[in-house]
Amino acid sequence: MTVNRRNKPASVNPIKIGQSLGAVLALQGCYRAMPLIHGSQGCSAFPKALLTRHFREPIAVQTSALQEMDVIFDANRNLEEALNIVLSKHRPDIIGIIGTELTDVAGVDYATMLKSYKRERNMRGGLAFSVVLPDFRGSLESGFSATVEAMIDEMIQQVGHRGSRTVNTRQITLLPGSFLTPADVMELKEMISAFGFEVIAVPDISTSLSGHLLTGFSPLTRGGVPLDSMLQSLQSGLTIAVGASMERPARRLHNALGTPYKVFSGAMGLKASDEMLHFLHQISGEPVPLRYCWQRENLLDSMLDAHFQFAGMSVVSALEPDHLYSISAWLEELGVEQKALIASYETPVVAGMEREVWIGDMDDAEVLGKGADLWISNSHGIAGAQRVGAAFMPAGFPVWNELGAYMSVSVGYRGAMEWSNKAGNLLMQREAKHRESSVRHR
Amino acid sequence: MDPIRKDEFDSEACGSKAPKSKPCPRPKPGEAAGGCSFDGAQITLLPIMDAAHLVHGPIACAGNSWESRGTLSSGPSLSQYGFATDLNDSDIIFGGEKKLKESIDYIAGRFAPPAIFVYSTCVTALIGEDMDAVCKEAGDRLGIPVIPVNSPGFVGSKNLGNRLAGDALLQYVIGTGEPEPELPPGVNLIGEYNIAGEMWDIEKLMNSAGIAVTSRITGDARYKEITWAHRAKVNMVVCSRALLGLAKEMESRYGIPYFEGSFYGAKETTYSLRQMAYLMNDRDMERRVDRLTEREESRLIQDLRPYRKILKGKKAVLYTGGVKSWSVISALKELGVQVVGVGTNKSTEDDVRRIADRVGDDTEYIPEGGATRILKTVRERKADIMIAGGRNMYVAMKEQIPFIDINQERHKAYAGYEGLLRLAKELTYSLANPIWKLAASPAPWDKEVPYDR
Ligand code: SF4
Repeated sequence: MTVNRRNKPASVNPIKIGQSLGAVLALQGCYRAMPLIHGSQGCSAFPKALLTRHFREPIAVQTSALQEMDVIFDANRNLEEALNIVLSKHRPDIIGIIGTELTDVAGVDYATMLKSYKRERNMRGGLAFSVVLPDFRGSLESGFSATVEAMIDEMIQQVGHRGSRTVNTRQITLLPGSFLTPADVMELKEMISAFGFEVIAVPDISTSLSGHLLTGFSPLTRGGVPLDSMLQSLQSGLTIAVGASMERPARRLHNALGTPYKVFSGAMGLKASDEMLHFLHQISGEPVPLRYCWQRENLLDSMLDAHFQFAGMSVVSALEPDHLYSISAWLEELGVEQKALIASYETPVVAGMEREVWIGDMDDAEVLGKGADLWISNSHGIAGAQRVGAAFMPAGFPVWNELGAYMSVSVGYRGAMEWSNKAGNLLMQREAKHRESSVRHR
Repeated sequence: MDPIRKDEFDSEACGSKAPKSKPCPRPKPGEAAGGCSFDGAQITLLPIMDAAHLVHGPIACAGNSWESRGTLSSGPSLSQYGFATDLNDSDIIFGGEKKLKESIDYIAGRFAPPAIFVYSTCVTALIGEDMDAVCKEAGDRLGIPVIPVNSPGFVGSKNLGNRLAGDALLQYVIGTGEPEPELPPGVNLIGEYNIAGEMWDIEKLMNSAGIAVTSRITGDARYKEITWAHRAKVNMVVCSRALLGLAKEMESRYGIPYFEGSFYGAKETTYSLRQMAYLMNDRDMERRVDRLTEREESRLIQDLRPYRKILKGKKAVLYTGGVKSWSVISALKELGVQVVGVGTNKSTEDDVRRIADRVGDDTEYIPEGGATRILKTVRERKADIMIAGGRNMYVAMKEQIPFIDINQERHKAYAGYEGLLRLAKELTYSLANPIWKLAASPAPWDKEVPYDR
């Protein structure tokens, strides 16, 4: 409906995260990959530290380590050096070169450089692509989807255009958005395969950042979708994108290969889950598996149990755009008042929402969400929630104040149930605390 | 554009082993690890808890880094706010100076901080923003110090950033104020950032010996106290190579003697306290310190007994980035833990000498090369535990190696006598945790024992 901004020059307690971090995240979902940030050291060290803190896993990423004079004279010499080292030392299957604001402002043309590098080295069998992601645009979400798009582009270039493509109608490519946790991606894969489809998720963080134990350490990504599966995904009969930001990569597949696609903007709550399962039921002709019917009942029952808890409650949420959309739809079903919705930056999906959305930061959440009972945001919101007096519910990225946050499920009936219970419990605890303190203070 | 980095000055300051004439080795593309100078500058200045810290640049530098450091505050929390000018496309094209000015005004108006630190980042440095001028103009107009910190990430390492932050303090802060008259002459603690509250443990010790802290540069500091740092009697540089220049400059400008010390381990702690009293030139104080350290040490020996039994002969690989390796080695030695491998990638020759004084001949030096190299040492030397920064924590977990976090993100304070006891406990808990056995044994169906019916 409306998109607003509070009038203030500085960003105070930002929600926004650099686009390049989104790119690094996307590449963690590819097997034996190495994201290579074309910029100064800090531009890779910060994302690495932050992703490590959230996922509690080692994160693969490297840098071209630009210094002042490199930027001014010849930044690509550093990139070439970095490529040489990464290729000879680790032999990755996939390299994603991520351009930063620094290379952008300095006008470094690394796309052409990469092309000639590949030609000279006769690089075959691997996938190397570049993507331009300056931090003065977008946020984590746009960096993630742009990287998937660039990766898909490169795959299509490599194999796709050879006219005779055999289409495998029993195979679906899943493009999971950046706000989904590893457990979410796993849940989606299970849902789709429950209808008899093969699923290839691109990227697939469910097998790389999900905390599997016995793989040992490697400087490259350890899990994720292998390159051959990724290439095979070009034969899928359908693309399912989850999160509006993933529509662009889906459209790429459609334009180049004619693969039809379906976008689910939301993934949370009863309606969103209904929609997804109904769609899968229709395209497969298979009945909805019994366990989902059960889960649906479970969800409704738990919502019924919890609805007392939500009565009269208000919520403020501050998230990346797709995530905000998704969570807002779920909140709608709980019957709570949505006091303020704050997105990190503007996208068509938040602009098209029926509720008023603010583009802003945690400080805006604090001001606009005054008096809210529940606060939903990444861990940067803890202090703000405290000041507002709201119960804090971690969501999105980064979350560091909760163990296993990356394994929490929010999609499907199961996810909606888990989240409804979690939110209800938080409100219950808050109420109990209030009661306690009012007794003590008499 | 003038290069910010002058080769002659950072050779020693950045803590490199390279010959004096050369700057720190340039980070190797494709093999580089560690933060940028902007990060380093913030590490030094963010612990000024009541000041506002504004990052001038596109969002990532601030957005990816705020609230990531473990430095604690005993009161004000404004420094934990993430302020950024958050430049967009058109700001880059038309210049961000206007937005910077407005941001400073906004922060001053709304939060009324005693001072605002403004950090340049790569992009604002590259497009040649005149930050110094904007800060000066705003400071004059608003009547509060607005301090430019020219430490964009691409000038070099984190250590260089520490040093540039020190330069900013020298240039704009130290010497601009006077202490309250009732404050007794005391010591400046330089480079102790109050990670996990370590500063508090140290201060408790100093107080019981009657040693006053004049300024904290900068753990849990208030802006005002740094303005009068020049009135201290002694500077102690707490294992921070990068801020040695600050101490040296204060010696030549204000005649304040300095020493380098550490609070890791009982021995180092005792030495540091003694050194303070000695340099204060106060016999009474020296006696008090002696009494205190004797008492604390003997109590510590009692308390440590059960842990030492368990820790004796255990082997550790230590990778701290080099700066404080030597002091941590002392602490470990006191616990009976043998350091079989130690990182020296950021150590100066001095540091390496100090390390060599404290370890055996067969200790392996790890000059550089990330996680793979550290793991190799752990395996070859059959180390029982890895002690390193948070970045390597999950690397160790993947390999199922007990681990202790020693860097700035950690939540445990290891300084002073109490800190050493805490370290002993942590080491013991970590080594004794049942998870190591559980994770190492296969699932029952993977054991090849036939089912006996
Ligand atoms: S290297 Fe430069 S652009 Fe990157 S985080 Fe550091 S200051 Fe910011």
